[in-house]
Amino acid sequence: MIVYTVEDLSVRIDGKTVVENVSFTVEASQCVALVGASGSGKSQSCLAPFGLSPGIPGGSARLGDTELIGAGRAILQRQRGRDVGFVFQHPLTALTPHLTIGTQLSEAWQQAGAEAPSREAMIVALERVGLDEPESRLDQFPHRLSGGQRQRALIAMAIAHNPKLLIADEPVSALDASLRNDIMALLDALRREDGLALLLVSHDLATIDRHADQIVMLRDGRVEESGPAALHLAAPTSEYGRELVAATPRLTDPPPTLPETGAPLFVAGDIHVSFPRPGWRKGRVQAVSGASLTVHEGEALALVGGSGSGKSTLARAIARLGPVDTGVVRWRGDPLPQRKRMSPLHRRLIQPVFQDPSASLDPQWRVSDIIAEPLRHLRPDLAERGRAGLIKQVLQEVDLPAEFADRFPRELSGGQAQRVAIARALVSEPEMLLLDEATSALDVLVAGRVLDLLEKLQHERDLALLFITHDLAVARRLCHRIAVMEAGEIIEEGPAQQVIAAPTHPVTQKLVVASRA
Amino acid sequence: MRALLLRRLITAIPTLLGVVILSFVLMRLAPGGPFDGERALDEETRAAMDAAYGLDLPLGEQILLYIGRIVRGDFGPSLVYRDFTVSELIAQGLPISLTIGGLALLLACALGIGGGLWAAVRAGRWQDEAIMGAATLLTALPVFVTGPLFVLIFALGLGWLPVSGWEAGSPSHLVLPVVALALPFAGAIAKLTRAGLARALNEDHVRTARARGLAERQVIARHALRPALVPVASYLGPAAAGLLTGAVIIETVFALPGLGRYFVQGALNRDYPLVLGVVTLYAGLIILFNLVADLIYGWLDPRMRAE
Repeated sequence: MIVYTVEDLSVRIDGKTVVENVSFTVEASQCVALVGASGSGKSQSCLAPFGLSPGIPGGSARLGDTELIGAGRAILQRQRGRDVGFVFQHPLTALTPHLTIGTQLSEAWQQAGAEAPSREAMIVALERVGLDEPESRLDQFPHRLSGGQRQRALIAMAIAHNPKLLIADEPVSALDASLRNDIMALLDALRREDGLALLLVSHDLATIDRHADQIVMLRDGRVEESGPAALHLAAPTSEYGRELVAATPRLTDPPPTLPETGAPLFVAGDIHVSFPRPGWRKGRVQAVSGASLTVHEGEALALVGGSGSGKSTLARAIARLGPVDTGVVRWRGDPLPQRKRMSPLHRRLIQPVFQDPSASLDPQWRVSDIIAEPLRHLRPDLAERGRAGLIKQVLQEVDLPAEFADRFPRELSGGQAQRVAIARALVSEPEMLLLDEATSALDVLVAGRVLDLLEKLQHERDLALLFITHDLAVARRLCHRIAVMEAGEIIEEGPAQQVIAAPTHPVTQKLVVASRA
Repeated sequence: MRALLLRRLITAIPTLLGVVILSFVLMRLAPGGPFDGERALDEETRAAMDAAYGLDLPLGEQILLYIGRIVRGDFGPSLVYRDFTVSELIAQGLPISLTIGGLALLLACALGIGGGLWAAVRAGRWQDEAIMGAATLLTALPVFVTGPLFVLIFALGLGWLPVSGWEAGSPSHLVLPVVALALPFAGAIAKLTRAGLARALNEDHVRTARARGLAERQVIARHALRPALVPVASYLGPAAAGLLTGAVIIETVFALPGLGRYFVQGALNRDYPLVLGVVTLYAGLIILFNLVADLIYGWLDPRMRAE
């Protein structure tokens, strides 16, 4: 039974056409996935027909027998409350902060005109989406819940009025790998049990491969290819499809060839980091307890774990960018000084690249000044001309044209900005890069190209990498070894292939299952 | 919640002490004294007066004595209004100032939030432009302009309302001073509300509410209004203080026997206990208003509630 039909849909924003000629149908129990790079119009195609985006839709979109395009505000509003539910990308901001979970669930329950639900009924609804302690959650405000818990609550609200269609706009991309898997399994169960039709927007091909029946690949607002998901992901028919598939690392890819490794570069022993509890409460939160790591010359080590597992805190403690309570870090045998005693020459050794490139570049500075800043302390001998030469050289190394030196960060795309951040790290001639989720905020294709760049640097520069990620497939592509963190401790460590093929710790096993496409 | 109240009360004590000591010293740095009149007193009388009021003691000792007395609730005698204590003068003037200021605050909130909401819903249309233009004009007009202007138009011209006076707080005497005092604050609140709501309406959780099929009116009332009012709440603390001090001008324009009059005259006459009493009272009220603003914050956004 067809629930939702889209024919020849177009969307215009400010007179510009961002979606054109898009057609697909969603049947009951089916999952249809809209895929594409960012800006390909996938969210617009989903939200504009329902009046939930500033875009103006054209063509046809029918929910059951009701035509949405051209319908008045009142009709759209009624339709939104009746046969369709929505789940959005950012669980942290998608709930109203000043209303309790119970109040919002009750509101969602009544959207199609139902009676106010009893407490018991709401508890059952929250239990169904796998939210723990549902009774006490009803009286809690959203900020008391973690990201995964909030996404479950949002799903409970989205299906509270028994809609026929659920539209999920990147429902799991803000969550870590094992949570992703849990939430997608929940959506699968709803399809099976309630016959719910699912329209899924995602850029994560691994997720789609496992869960979607049909796939629609969008590029610049047009359908590049569409059809059965398994078929099109195994053998894409378009150049764009092949590019998308190739940019997504998977655990089933052939093992990568990695550079040779040398003598130990640094040895970190028994690192402890704690933070004071927020507010006036006594005591400290132990973020890292007794972690030890070794990285060799030219070696890439992945630090993998869920959000809050302490991986960034540990890496920053090692690089002396964050606090550390106890523990020694030896660099080629010599102890690394404490954070405030680090000289520029020490700082040179480990250069960081962070997750959000737009936040780690000063918007007031030109690219050339951003890249040149480390040179002021490290190479005071260099004159203006020498600096310019070095800047040109590193820009070339990160595959950016020399004229980018005069640009400001706002004139760069996400991928270009991350390349500038990498260039700034490289200009100091580091021995190791600290990459903190350096590709996870980027779009698939862009992230794929940044990974290619890192691979090239690894081979050409003999760089060691400390690669923080929640994505095992990405870790496997670049890294010799994987260390898995959970609750501040390293619970498993070993050669990448071995950890993925035969994980010993249950948390690692769950991570591997979640990442296996 | 109770912890927050307790903590604020404890931190209020050093703040108040600081205010008392600072104003005590500043007052004494100003030239002149309470007994300097047209005709200079002879040395002997003057010394006797100073001794009678303890003004001959070292400054540090005077401050300690004063603090000791206000802890017991005694603000001392007025040096100029000879038959009254400072407490009696405050008891006379404070209710009047609080009535005018409180009513003006309520009126400013009602006009400001209402107008801001109305404009935000019509964002970009002429009604929005008109309201925001009026709001800018109102914030720019000081009460010493609007006050006499209102008197000219509504009292002398049209004869609808009395020109000035208190008359035991009769409503007709309240209208002009309250409106004149409220308007600049109403303008500022309208702008804050308008900007806050425009931002709140673009937030993710409002989209979630819209996706739920709620009517736009419900979306605003239940999901967008409270986050939109956070900037208004942070403005209310200083605004309430501004209404109190602004009342000084209003009370002069409309000849109201409020606290402001004593404050100004006390400062001009070097009536040390009177000025100190009023300053301490104002400081206490301002601390109180800021505490109330913090409580409102917690209601608007539970994330800001103290742990």
